[in-house]
Amino acid sequence: MKKTFTLLAAAVVVLALGAPQTASAETLRVGMECTYAPFNFKNADGELDGYDVDVAKGVAGLIGADLEFVCQKWDGMIPALLANKFDLVVASMSITDKRLKKMDFSDTYRISVGRLVGRKNAGFNLFDDAGKPIPSNFAGLKVGLERATTYSDWFENELPEANVVLYDSNEALYLDLVNGRTDMIMTNPMKAHLRFLGKEDGAGFEFVSPQIDEKKYFGIGVGIGLRKGNDALKARLNGALKTLTDDGSLERYALKYFPFAIH
Amino acid sequence: MSSNFFDFIDFQLILESIPDMLKGIGLTLELLFLSGILGLALAIVLLLMRISGRWYLAAPTMVYIYIFRGTPILVQIFIIYHGLPQLDFVRESIFWPIFKEPYGCAIVALTLNTGAYVSEILRGGVLGVSRGLKEAGAALGLSIRHRFIYITAPIAIRLCLPAYSNDVISLMKSTALVSTITLLDMMGIARTIVAETYAPYEVFISLMVIYLILTWMMQRTFGWAEKRMSRHVRSEA
Repeated sequence: MKKTFTLLAAAVVVLALGAPQTASAETLRVGMECTYAPFNFKNADGELDGYDVDVAKGVAGLIGADLEFVCQKWDGMIPALLANKFDLVVASMSITDKRLKKMDFSDTYRISVGRLVGRKNAGFNLFDDAGKPIPSNFAGLKVGLERATTYSDWFENELPEANVVLYDSNEALYLDLVNGRTDMIMTNPMKAHLRFLGKEDGAGFEFVSPQIDEKKYFGIGVGIGLRKGNDALKARLNGALKTLTDDGSLERYALKYFPFAIH
Repeated sequence: MSSNFFDFIDFQLILESIPDMLKGIGLTLELLFLSGILGLALAIVLLLMRISGRWYLAAPTMVYIYIFRGTPILVQIFIIYHGLPQLDFVRESIFWPIFKEPYGCAIVALTLNTGAYVSEILRGGVLGVSRGLKEAGAALGLSIRHRFIYITAPIAIRLCLPAYSNDVISLMKSTALVSTITLLDMMGIARTIVAETYAPYEVFISLMVIYLILTWMMQRTFGWAEKRMSRHVRSEA
C-alpha cells in the first residue's frame, strides 16, 4: 500500500514537473467547421486545409502543442467550446462584443476590411499616399454597395460625396459593375477575389483602393477563440501569432489562396 | 392584452421613419405619372392595331398583350434590368443610356406592362358601345373615323373609367417593385430602414398607411371624374 502510494506520488511529481517540458504532452483540441473554404475545409485528399488550419498548425508548432481538429457546425461552435468539447476555435470567427461576453479571443490573425473594386486603368485617383480617401474625387462616382452593410455605413459617414447605389445581393453588385451601371463597388476583398476578380467576368477589373481597415466600422477582425480564464494560454497564443506575423508566415498562408495578405 | 401590442410597436421609430420614406414619394409619383401616360399612349396604339381588322396588325398586338399580361411584372423588370445588358448589341445601341439607368428600366417595364392591361380595358370599352349608336352615326353619313372619334370614343372612355382607375391604382402599387433594381422609391427606402433597424412591422405598416392614403386620393379623383362624365344620366333620372 505504502509502495503504491509512493509510486503514485512519484508519478504525480513527474507529470507535474515533466509535462510542461515535453512538448508533445499537451494536446489542444481545435474546433472549426471544416466546410468553409478557403479557410477551413477538407481538400481533395480528405485532409483539412485552409488558412485557419495553417494558422492553427503554425501556432501549435510555436507553443509546442499537439493538435486535434474537431469539426463542428457553426451554430453550435460557441456552446461546444464552452462545454469543453474543444479548447480553441480557429474558424474565421470575428471578434465581437457579444461574443466577448461569453468567451475570450486572441489577437487577430485576419482583419476585417473593405476594398473598392473598379475597372482596370480607369485612372481613379481616390486615395492619398497615406491611404486616406480624397473626398472630392469621389463626387459623382457611382458606388455599388450591399444594403445595410458596414460598407454602406462607412460611405454614408465618411464619403457622402459619392453617389451610393444599394443592392440586395453580392452577385447583382458584380453584374452591374460589369454592365457599367456603377463605377466601382466596395466589398470584402476575399469575397471579391473568390467570386469575381479571380473569375472570367472580373478579368477587366481590379482593386482600386488599399485595404480599408477602420475598426469603428468593419470590426476588429478574426481571432482564435478560447474559454475565459485561460490567460496563460491566451498569452502564449498571442506570442505565437506575433511571431507568425513578424516572420511572414501569415502572409505566406494567405498567398496560397489570395493574391494579397489578409492579416 | 392590447398593451402587449403597444409595448411591442416602436412608435418613436414610426415617427422617425415616415419622413424618411416620404422622401421617396416624389419618385413613386414620377414613376406612376410617367409610365401611366406613356402606357396610356401605348395602349391606344395597341387598341387601334387590335381593332383595325387587319390580321398583321392585330396578331402581334395579341401576342404582346398575352406576354405582358401573362407574366409577373417582377420578371419583366428583371429581364429588362438584368437581362438586356447581357446582350452586347443592347449595350452598344442608342438605347443604352435608357437601359443603363435603373430609372429608365423601371419606366420601360412599367409602361410596357400597364400598356398591355390598359389596351384590353379600352377594347372592353369600345366593344361595349352599342351597335345602334354606331349605326345611327353611319345613317347620318359620318365616316368610320368620325364615328370613332365622336361616338365610340367618348362613350367607351366613360365605360372604361372604373376599370381604368383600378389599373392606375395597381400601377401605383407596382412601382414598389422598382426597389428591387436599386431605386430608392418609398419601398426602397423602407427596405433600407428595415435592414438597418430589424423592425419590419413599424416600417412596413407606416409604409402601408402612406400607400393607402395615396390610393384613397386616387379613388376620390376617379370617382369625381366618373360622376362628372355620367352627369347626363343622373339629370335624366
